Amino acid sequence: MSGRDRPAIVHVVDDDEAVCSSLRLLLKSRGIPAASHASAEDFLAKYDSEEPGCLVLDVRMPGMSGLELQDELNRRGAIIPVIFITGHGDVPMAVEAMQHGAADFLQKPFRDQDLTDRIQQALVADHRNREQLREKDAIQARLASLSPREMQVLRLVTLGKSNKVIAGDLGVSQRTVEIHRAHLMEKMAAASLAQLVRMTMIGNE
Amino acid sequence: MTSSLAASEFKTLLDVAVDAVVIIDHRGVIETFNRAAERLFGYTAAEAIGANVNLLMPEPDRSQHDGHIARYIASGVPHIIGIGRDVIARRKDGGVFPVSLAVGRIPDSAPPRFVGFMHDLTARHEAAEERQRMQQRMARVSHLATMGEMAAAIAHEINQPLAAISNYAIACERFLEAPEPDLAEVHGAMRQIAGQALRAGEIIRRVRSLVRTHEPHRELADINELVRGVSALTESDARLHGVRLTLELADEPPRAAVDGIQIQQVLLNLIHNAIEALAGAAAGERNVTVRTGRSGAGDIEIAVIDTGPGVDPAIAQRIFDAFCTTKQQGTGLGLAISRSIIQAHRGRLEYRPAAPHGACFVVTLPDTLENAP
Repeated sequence: MSGRDRPAIVHVVDDDEAVCSSLRLLLKSRGIPAASHASAEDFLAKYDSEEPGCLVLDVRMPGMSGLELQDELNRRGAIIPVIFITGHGDVPMAVEAMQHGAADFLQKPFRDQDLTDRIQQALVADHRNREQLREKDAIQARLASLSPREMQVLRLVTLGKSNKVIAGDLGVSQRTVEIHRAHLMEKMAAASLAQLVRMTMIGNE
Repeated sequence: MTSSLAASEFKTLLDVAVDAVVIIDHRGVIETFNRAAERLFGYTAAEAIGANVNLLMPEPDRSQHDGHIARYIASGVPHIIGIGRDVIARRKDGGVFPVSLAVGRIPDSAPPRFVGFMHDLTARHEAAEERQRMQQRMARVSHLATMGEMAAAIAHEINQPLAAISNYAIACERFLEAPEPDLAEVHGAMRQIAGQALRAGEIIRRVRSLVRTHEPHRELADINELVRGVSALTESDARLHGVRLTLELADEPPRAAVDGIQIQQVLLNLIHNAIEALAGAAAGERNVTVRTGRSGAGDIEIAVIDTGPGVDPAIAQRIFDAFCTTKQQGTGLGLAISRSIIQAHRGRLEYRPAAPHGACFVVTLPDTLENAP
């Protein structure tokens, strides 16, 4: 449940110091906490995957380019949404960025409203992604707490088998199945069979 | 020799000669006028023989020629005899044309007689003019091409401070809209705005000095200043490719009468090439150095040195040829045009491998201060 209450931060990465710090100030004036980084390497050195937020990234940078940083984040399994800023004539790069999972891109020069709108959307998406991840983590933790026998019962229950059939399959009494079933519903915090089925689907993704 | 030569043989010899041959006496009167002379000047031998040779010259030579002969006979000091030179000749129809003239005194002739050989230079002159026209055309083409590259570089360089100014201004507006404005933030942002406006202004100042004129125009220029102007335009390109651009400028600014824009085009081309060479190279130090100074002979030298792979020795001999290129999108004209520009300045553009690896292109310009306007 880490990160639930941490504030989202927008990371701006641009090699032009003035552009970078002015964007940070612009976002700050909108009440959006932001941090500026002079290079992709600087950002990676400080990046905390547990921290919610999004990344505003210049495509063209010396050293590690914006696209290379995106690849590196993908390799690390990072879910932070990336908004690319492209210069004039960088459309092929923007297309490539989108194909690699960029959240959005903006072409220079852009209106600040367009940028803040996209940032808000990216932050909402990030929040949703993190919620889903947290739910999945929680479900997997609950699944891990089940005993081997409860696990067997869970599998058969979610296949839609009745207690009587399960008892036959496992060679135990129907009463025993009922007890296992009650325990696993409790451990999984499932109120209904439908909810249990949904959880196992999310947990096994 | 002539004594053993029959008169008819001598005449044949003269008439098959490709060059015009004219023999005159001590007064300048034409005695012999061969076939080639007839073709060249448009006079028949009958018309020319007996006339003064100054008939074949335009003014002012025409009225001075008798004096030249008299002076030679009186003093014995040759003015043109035995030396030969390029002079302007005049046809029967009044048209003038360049000839190379060689004059000799016929041995033992008294009073002296002279023989002149004339070779038409019209074709050679036209070729030289054509070459010059071609150079000017190429310089114009290259000017257009580099203007395109420069425009893109300029647009990027100016957009950066403008984007920053816009961001700071919007932020200021927001801060001031707050019930209790954070004036310290606003103050800081305003200072940044002023700084970025100056940055944009500086770029424009540099650009203006580059595009002030399109006409080839030579004037006394500080070579160091030309180099600084170009480096301002290549900084973002260099930064983008992780290349460090270093200027090592002579303490005593070298000054020469040059077309500053053309020289900057050449330098822009050389620096772009260097950056491209480094961009395509494997990891390692990526440095481009532009150095100004003087050669041992006192000529002005501008060297563009990179730490890339250098030029493949297999093609080093051909890199200055038009349409020789190693780049996928290159025209192969950059170095050819650059060299013709430098040669038009009576200078040289040469390639030398750099140590331990890399390329070094050296522009050498004559010290033109003494004959500068």
